[in-house]
Amino acid sequence: MSYDERALIEYVTQQRWYGAKSRGVAHAQVLDSAVLRTQEPQLALALVEVRYETGAHDLYQLLVSHREGEPELNGLTDDPSLARELVSAMRSGLTVQSGEGAVEFHHLEGFAGLGRELGNARTIEAEQSNTSIAFDELILKAFRRLEAGINPELELLRFLSDRAFPNVAALGGWYAYTGGPLNATLGILQAYVPDAQDGWDLALDALADDPELFLARARRLGEVTGELHTALGSEPNDPAFAPETPSDETLGLLTATVDEEIANVFLSLPEGDERIEPIAGRGEEVREQLRLLTHGGTIGKAIRIHGDYHLGQTLWSRHDWTIIDFEGEPARSLAERRRKRSPLRDVAGMLRSFAYASIAAGLLRGADVPDDWEPRAREQFLDGYLATVDQSLLPNGPVGIERLLTVFELEKAVYELRYELDNRPDWVGIPVAAIRRLIESAAPAP
Amino acid sequence: MSEQWFERDPQWFRRAVFYEIHIRGFYDGNGDGSGDFRGLIEKLDYLQWLGVDCIWLLPMYPSPLRDGGYDISDFFSIHPDYGTVEDFREFVEQSHQRGIRVIADLVMNHTSSDHPWFQESRTDPTGPKGDWYVWSDTDEPYQDARVIFLDSEASNWTFDPVRGQYYWHRFFHHQPDLNYANPEVQEEMLDVLRFWLDLGIDGFRLDAVPYLYEAEGTNCENLPRTHEYLKRARAEVDARYPDRVLLAEANQWPADVVQYFGNGDGDECHMAFHFPVMPRMFMSVRREDATPIYEILDLTPGIPDNCQWGLFLRNHDELTLEMVTDEERDYMYAEYAKDPRMKINLGIRRRLAPLLDNGRDEIALLHAILFSLPGSPVLYYGDEIMMGDNVYLGDRDGVRTPMQWTGDRNAGFSRADWAQLYLQPLMDPVYGYQAVNVEAQLRTPTSFLRWLHLFIALRKEHPVFGLGSYEPLRPENPRIFAHIRRFEEDIVLCVHNLANSAQAVELDLRAFDGMVPEEMLGRTRFPAIGELPYLLTLAPRGFFWFQLKQAAE
Repeated sequence: MSYDERALIEYVTQQRWYGAKSRGVAHAQVLDSAVLRTQEPQLALALVEVRYETGAHDLYQLLVSHREGEPELNGLTDDPSLARELVSAMRSGLTVQSGEGAVEFHHLEGFAGLGRELGNARTIEAEQSNTSIAFDELILKAFRRLEAGINPELELLRFLSDRAFPNVAALGGWYAYTGGPLNATLGILQAYVPDAQDGWDLALDALADDPELFLARARRLGEVTGELHTALGSEPNDPAFAPETPSDETLGLLTATVDEEIANVFLSLPEGDERIEPIAGRGEEVREQLRLLTHGGTIGKAIRIHGDYHLGQTLWSRHDWTIIDFEGEPARSLAERRRKRSPLRDVAGMLRSFAYASIAAGLLRGADVPDDWEPRAREQFLDGYLATVDQSLLPNGPVGIERLLTVFELEKAVYELRYELDNRPDWVGIPVAAIRRLIESAAPAP
Repeated sequence: MSEQWFERDPQWFRRAVFYEIHIRGFYDGNGDGSGDFRGLIEKLDYLQWLGVDCIWLLPMYPSPLRDGGYDISDFFSIHPDYGTVEDFREFVEQSHQRGIRVIADLVMNHTSSDHPWFQESRTDPTGPKGDWYVWSDTDEPYQDARVIFLDSEASNWTFDPVRGQYYWHRFFHHQPDLNYANPEVQEEMLDVLRFWLDLGIDGFRLDAVPYLYEAEGTNCENLPRTHEYLKRARAEVDARYPDRVLLAEANQWPADVVQYFGNGDGDECHMAFHFPVMPRMFMSVRREDATPIYEILDLTPGIPDNCQWGLFLRNHDELTLEMVTDEERDYMYAEYAKDPRMKINLGIRRRLAPLLDNGRDEIALLHAILFSLPGSPVLYYGDEIMMGDNVYLGDRDGVRTPMQWTGDRNAGFSRADWAQLYLQPLMDPVYGYQAVNVEAQLRTPTSFLRWLHLFIALRKEHPVFGLGSYEPLRPENPRIFAHIRRFEEDIVLCVHNLANSAQAVELDLRAFDGMVPEEMLGRTRFPAIGELPYLLTLAPRGFFWFQLKQAAE
């Protein structure tokens, strides 16, 4: 099969999952391809290298269908039923040779869904880095931008599925490329979570109709999060998961990083904007708080964590929470996403998500959010979390936990401040409120 | 198959910040009192935070350590104190994951006298290795070659009672020179390069390259055949290993050093150290006069576009004074080595901070000048926290004491017993680890470490410092070192006050009429440039870096 370079460039650069929107593309070519289905319509998997004018390059996975010799680059989304081909290849554990290597399909032993008929296939609204095809009971996720190494989503789901962790969508199988250009995870197959509502929508709906409803479930979300961390920190013999004791200077590095980011953001705060008036000119106070928070104290263990944890990564289904999307922050490199970190980073992410929900409910749904909703949601979540998490993963004692958690929340709020100033000025009040609260509260004493 | 962590970039080294590490002194991962690769891996997060692009490792090979490891006894292995080849591979992998490249010292000129090749050569003169070293019946050949280690060696020849002949050595007598006239030696050393490149290393700092070949009637330095061999090594690297770098250590005058870039073709070494500019920076600060810096840069020829100077303030060796006049050397000794213990060979064995009397302003100023010059800066471990030295230790050990991580036991360097440490960390009240350590400086926003971190980030934001032109301004006030760096649309004005008093300076900036200087650290805009001389006032040892912007921006 041959591909027209111009058509490749035109197609790839227009996709949502195309990551380099601001870069000039110099070349595109198919580095390797494998035929997955030989009957009409044929299905081929192609690894497409996009070269930029700067000399850098990225690699993308395309699933191309062929009807009467005409390639349709958008094969998978054009005809989602072709995804059945991938699922049945996993079921039979196929290895398909390509020019430069092979595409290997795997399934987990005893994954019941694989044996069943696949229902209607439909494309789920595309996310930034992947394309998802849902069947009745299964969901296939194809990673588009490829990086060398195992994808953390596969790695974590396998780990959790092997241990029968109940609050994830169980992994059914995966497929991966091994060959000259690189070794990379191409996609995964998971159980489809039925009757689910995502946590963000749930919180916003609740805030509009019945704020207490979410609060009751926040504690359970905390428990599930604690159980998740306990499970992820439970394997001392697997180097990819064994909890690590951070170096002596880890807290110092964190302090320096956050401190410089605060200094930087406050250096460029716009003047005369009343939305940021509560914190304007108070950068030094924030830095002083940070110093008090990081003066002494322990930081617990570093473990594999979710890495991009917020309400949008949770589903409420049939009276319990399911945690999804273990890819980590898509903007970071794969190696960075696989690095071990304090589990309190995930906790801070969820707490910031509560703050966003409480204000977004007003902005988006016109809800009148009770003042004590966010503090109560936090309290519920933290109570649940501390009841189930393995305490040896955390700093020593409740004060130590609170201090480190506050540092992570501050780090996120400072990041949000910059992001909202640049992208969504209407939302800037959310991080401003968090930073203001920090300045005006006394740091917990050591 | 190796993972690819970096975007293809054959010019990366031109914008990089290098960081030189003495493995033994960095961090002890296994608690035996010596630093090692496992320990180094634990500290990569710190180096990533600091902004290091490339680590330069001092020699890591098996060695009797009579010259800090520059006496190699096996080119294909790792010194057992530091770990294994597998540890090294893991270290390179972990570095790459953090966007940090790794180059290592490699001594091509000589081996340890303990190396099995030398033992075979001296015991079996007619055997396969009989001709791998430079042997002679007399000590008379090559009389025009200078003796480098003046303090310890009387001649470049030493008699070997076993073989009954003299062998040639440009450094210590226990470091016999390899005989590059022998094609087997040439090929074997290329195999050494390939071995480490296959393990993922990003290049080499080639130690003592000017001395590979000898020829009667010459000073046996920088000979044409030496250059031919290096070009061959470069071709080998280019053919199979993209984006790697060869960095030449040739302590020579700039006009001779540029030969190592390959005579204008850029087909020999990618980088070479600029030795002579270093003592002149120290001289300028002490004399409060920019002339020595301007002069040495005037004497520095242009280099090919794909090459770069390596610039440094201090390193693991003495502050070398080979490339200065006798008069200048006397001046440097008088100013910087008041205690005779501080002198060694033709140099001064002190760290940066003690050389400058621990003067924060002077240390920052020298970093500013270093970072502003055309070249890639090479930092020496410990200097980022203003670590001190111990002149009472022998040879150059005084500048190789353990990295001071924390104020805890053993400076946080090792969990071994104090007495077990390869060298004890500094404990004096000024430079001791309780006062000077990474952890304390990380937490202190005004510390030198925190300042340097921001300064490294600033330099890296502007490729002009690595890639741009150098245009000296030479204002009338001789105490000011001012110059323009320019790369494409990015124009930077650097003004440094070498005096220990406030200074005013008028700069002729008519070429930039209408542009507005923006100070780069605080982003403050200064008055626009006009037809008249541009007046600046600088604090004692102060400096400004400005980005020149169009007024409308």
